[in-house]
Amino acid sequence: MTASALPIRRERLQGAGLDAALPYLLLAPAVLIVLAVLIYPLYDGLRASTAFYRYGKPLRDVGFDNYIKLWSDPEFLNSLWVTVSFVTLSVAIETVLGLLLALFCAREFRGIRLLRTVLIIPMVITPVVVAIVFRLIYASDAGMLTAFSEALGGQPVQILGNPLTAFSGLVALDVWEWTPLLFLIILAGLQSLPVEPFEAARVDGAGAWRTFIDHTLPMLRPVLAVAIVLRTIDAFGTFDQVFVLTGGGPGQSTLLLSIFGYNTAFKFQQTGYAAALFVTMGVIVLALALAAVRLLKRVEAA
Amino acid sequence: MTDNNPFQRSLSRRTLLQGSAGLAVAAALGGTVPAKAADAKKVIIGAFADGGLTPFKDKIIPLAKSQGFDITFLEDEYGVTLEKWFADAQNKAGQYDLYLLDDPWVPQFGAADVLEDLGAAGIDGSNSDWIGPLIDMGYWPPRQGPRVKGFETATPTLVTVPFVGDLQTLTYRNDVFTDGAPATWDDVITKGKAGVAAGKIKYPVVFRGVTGNPIVTSWYPVFLSFGGEFFDDKWNVTFNNEKGKAAAEFFVGTMKQNAPPGVVEFDSDQEGAAILGGDAGAIIQYSGNAIKSDDPAQTKVPGKLDFGVVPKQEKAIAQLGIFIAGVPKSAPNKQNSIDFLKWYTSPDTQAKLAEAGSIPVTRSGFAVKDPGNRLIPVALKQLDAGALPRPRMPDWAKVEELLGNELNKALQAGSGGGDALDAAAKSVTAYLTQAGYYA
Repeated sequence: MTASALPIRRERLQGAGLDAALPYLLLAPAVLIVLAVLIYPLYDGLRASTAFYRYGKPLRDVGFDNYIKLWSDPEFLNSLWVTVSFVTLSVAIETVLGLLLALFCAREFRGIRLLRTVLIIPMVITPVVVAIVFRLIYASDAGMLTAFSEALGGQPVQILGNPLTAFSGLVALDVWEWTPLLFLIILAGLQSLPVEPFEAARVDGAGAWRTFIDHTLPMLRPVLAVAIVLRTIDAFGTFDQVFVLTGGGPGQSTLLLSIFGYNTAFKFQQTGYAAALFVTMGVIVLALALAAVRLLKRVEAA
Repeated sequence: MTDNNPFQRSLSRRTLLQGSAGLAVAAALGGTVPAKAADAKKVIIGAFADGGLTPFKDKIIPLAKSQGFDITFLEDEYGVTLEKWFADAQNKAGQYDLYLLDDPWVPQFGAADVLEDLGAAGIDGSNSDWIGPLIDMGYWPPRQGPRVKGFETATPTLVTVPFVGDLQTLTYRNDVFTDGAPATWDDVITKGKAGVAAGKIKYPVVFRGVTGNPIVTSWYPVFLSFGGEFFDDKWNVTFNNEKGKAAAEFFVGTMKQNAPPGVVEFDSDQEGAAILGGDAGAIIQYSGNAIKSDDPAQTKVPGKLDFGVVPKQEKAIAQLGIFIAGVPKSAPNKQNSIDFLKWYTSPDTQAKLAEAGSIPVTRSGFAVKDPGNRLIPVALKQLDAGALPRPRMPDWAKVEELLGNELNKALQAGSGGGDALDAAAKSVTAYLTQAGYYA
């Protein structure tokens, strides 16, 4: 192709209106992918949530019946309560522990880098593996706790056979695994704080507690809010650990919404009802996220 | 040497592209043709991991290979197989040629119309060599008993065939129960306690207490032995009648008191460890752990475990829980899997299966001179004494879950079995009502 041919070709393209269409053409693959992997499944899920399924097939449209039925289903209400309790307790403990660890690790001393690395190890282990390890710790017949107890002349320790201890055991697992995430985010926040207010506080003779309350905590609020929101949304979707560790039992004491929905959809093949459940769960998480964003804005404005 | 020598010619981009395209086509063709030839008798079998299939894996798969079948055996954990295979069948994904289903799943697959009609494919369900109660489980809708709505007048079709004839039997310690298998539940407890006092065992019995399928599987033979009936012929719940409640009270009370302390969280691995490890005196179980009883590598008490018919209160009835094979309509090697099933269920192969130590599915299989496991003749005795399948309904998994939750709560408390059945009856009835069983 000669140099003079290029402007001619460009003119032809412009003439055909392709110049105007070019941005859309370039965007089209991305838009199509988003439609295929995000919008269509969402639409399909919403459609499924208004149908009554039998034997894996939609039989008839039931409008909002599935959604209405959810709020009178004791299993759903129990799962919702268990999930909210689990998320609240886990995230609260993780936040406090994460903050304490971050405050401790924000200082520089010998071995601190190694300590920071070690502290984030639980977070990078596959959740299923964590659940298996905790099962080996909790099992009443051959678990580590039972072995310790029996070595000391005690009885087998029954964590997973009692609703309260099974739930607590699950929270402990989650705290062990996800405190490092909070720790990491808060530590990053701490390290990005300006040093001047702290120097001024020191000059003014403020103690560590006063400095923490008056400076560190207020300046960390946006970071804490982000960390809590992220972890809360994530905790709502907890599945693997419960599936492996308790399967939702004993009874239904650890039956999180994710497990209940999974069983409903795949084990009992009530696809429509499960879709309604997951849409409801999605709305709850979305509401939480929106509330958190508003809270963040308010915090930033303050 | 001239420029015409092709090895001397410089490689242009066009030549490179042409060459690459040619190579790709050749590779595709070359890869496809021999693969088709190799697929001639390929069979992809899906199974859930269970000790009951060990003899099949160890002895029958190599035998099948020697017969020209190219077997790929894919195992999954029990809890995920149902949904995985149902999705495979329904979406026509064609990932399997044969599912080795747990028998309560047959109604789900049958009602969804995703399995081949094996009768039409040439497998004769009326052959008298089949063990009656086992081949009955292969039909959808069932040949006997109540039917779900929509299938009242449908002709029963053989959608699955029995694969391993598993059923519950009693495994007991012969140094504790020295007069042979305990005939009644009272014997199990009384003699078991004596065994504990003598320091031979730690607990008279062991069973599964985990909510859902595990606890219901352990409770069911007790329920049957007390004379319980699950549904009437209109799907009305009857499991909470007097006999059922007596069985539940005995299970969550007496049996729990005589079982390991953590039995509420026990599943098959823990109950297996308790009996094979020498801690428990008796257990009702399927063949998966039972066939390990003579293997010193798997048990601490080799030679001390014997098998018998389940104890009775009124009857000595066990639960049938067989592996049953179905061919998905989407199977990529459909004819191969049907050929495989014909070969597998032939008298010769069933004899080999029994010799390998697995419970056969045909009468002739039980007639082998030298069965590979002591359990096999006991299994036949149990079949003759009485063995019942779980109700043939597509919603059994949910029913089992609802009942299992209530039983598990009562087991935690150590009492309230009767109330648990009443609560379960209420929720099961509500569920079946919305599912259209009584419409």
